[in-house]
Amino acid sequence: MSRPSIFRTVAWLWFLASIAVLIVGFREAIFLVPTDAAQGDTGRIFYYHVPSAMLSLIFPYINFLASLAYLYWRRRDPLKALTSDALALTAAEVTVVYATICLVTGSIWGRATWGIWWTWDPRLTSMLLLWLLYVSYLMLRRFSSSGQSQTLAAVLSVFAAVDVPIVYMSIRWWRTQHPAPVFGGGPDSGLDPSMMPAFVWNIIGWAMWGIFILCFRFALERRRQLAEQEAALSAIEDSLETAQ
Amino acid sequence: MKYIGHILAHLRKDLRIEWRSRDSINGMLFFALLVVVVFSLAFDPTAAVSRQISGGILWVALLFATVTALNQAWTREQNHQVLEAQRMAPAPASALFLGKAIANMLFVLVVEAVLAPVFIVFYNLHVLGNAWLLALILPLGTWALVVNGTFFAVLGLRTRNRELLLPLLLLPISLPALLGMVEATTGVLTAQLDPLEINTWITQLAGYDLVYTIVCVLLFETVLNAE
Amino acid sequence: MTWHTFFNLSTLEHRHLLAAYATVFIVQGSYVLWILRGWLRSKGPRE
Repeated sequence: MSRPSIFRTVAWLWFLASIAVLIVGFREAIFLVPTDAAQGDTGRIFYYHVPSAMLSLIFPYINFLASLAYLYWRRRDPLKALTSDALALTAAEVTVVYATICLVTGSIWGRATWGIWWTWDPRLTSMLLLWLLYVSYLMLRRFSSSGQSQTLAAVLSVFAAVDVPIVYMSIRWWRTQHPAPVFGGGPDSGLDPSMMPAFVWNIIGWAMWGIFILCFRFALERRRQLAEQEAALSAIEDSLETAQ
Repeated sequence: MKYIGHILAHLRKDLRIEWRSRDSINGMLFFALLVVVVFSLAFDPTAAVSRQISGGILWVALLFATVTALNQAWTREQNHQVLEAQRMAPAPASALFLGKAIANMLFVLVVEAVLAPVFIVFYNLHVLGNAWLLALILPLGTWALVVNGTFFAVLGLRTRNRELLLPLLLLPISLPALLGMVEATTGVLTAQLDPLEINTWITQLAGYDLVYTIVCVLLFETVLNAE
Repeated sequence: MTWHTFFNLSTLEHRHLLAAYATVFIVQGSYVLWILRGWLRSKGPRE
């Protein structure tokens, strides 16, 4: 077990490091950062909501690239294809996790600060559509039979990736025509220097955590794939024995 | 020229088969009509309000009708092992896809043609904007739904819960197109959007159609050989 | 802010702040526990 033990050690260290950074980030966000003048203490939700939002826009790219890699390797190198597929599935799940957090915390924040649970502004609507796209990807994987679910899902991933910029443009145009209340004070609100430490610690912390769960889920998926391969192999071996 | 010949052959076949029984068109028509009636009962709109919402209701009715029809769009092919035969045939698979998509498009356009007068009657519609734009918006919007719908119908062919999966996959992907078609239609009906804005929506819809037609044509072969 | 005020449930703002942070921990925690459960149930590679 010499190769896996290095992975295990690194994984544990990374896990502990992410937790440590997140604890520092929590401390910064809740206890150290001065209370926001306009929003009061509710503004502290910012430090958990915004990193989740930003990270949820990165994982879809990983899913897309992994799906393309799968479609490329599918006939050329099945083992690499399998690995790419595991990565695609993992990235989609992590996207849904982060997007869910973004939507729910955003809604809770909106209710507290602006009095509304939801508004159909460009960012929120685009995030909701992103969530819907990747949930539909996960549903396809669940409902399709194991022989083809990987290819079908990879194809859907291409559709979803093509859709993301289209969604962004159309929702923005829609909201230019029919302006609606905007959460988060519009695009001009910048970061005050006093907010920087909490924001930086939290975004690094949640990014590290995101990488950790990505790798953990990937390892689990690879384990399952290898177990399936071994089962298939032993079934073939058994059938060869009886053929004698 | 040969490629288009293939497409036309598939198209002729689908039209001919549909003409014999007219199941699909009748089902779609009646279903769309029912949706219109349900919405009228639900909202009981006045003249001003009805213009605002009729664009949305039209497209929702067409969306439901299209999904119902697409659910069984490939059953004939499945029952007669046509897809396996296609894999062995030298003809390009995408021609089969385009033929079927165009056939479905024509069916939905027929439904729209019958539905439009019904709509005008039920909602006392009086188009305030340029009605000729509707002749552009309706086909563009329909193609957006049909091209992706036909593709996802194939995608879901050998999955369990096939009928459930089609709308689950189609709706998220189609949302930007739906937004465009509803906004453009409502803009024309109510004349609340000026021509530049309506044209932008139409351009976006056309762009969506182009992009997804290309994506579907390129990926159809992959889905056919998914095992 | 202090621990005392963080868990103060009297005002809507504080309840929502707590709810938002709790949501994050619950969602992330459930996901990682779900992965862990799958890991423990799956068979390791045979040596």
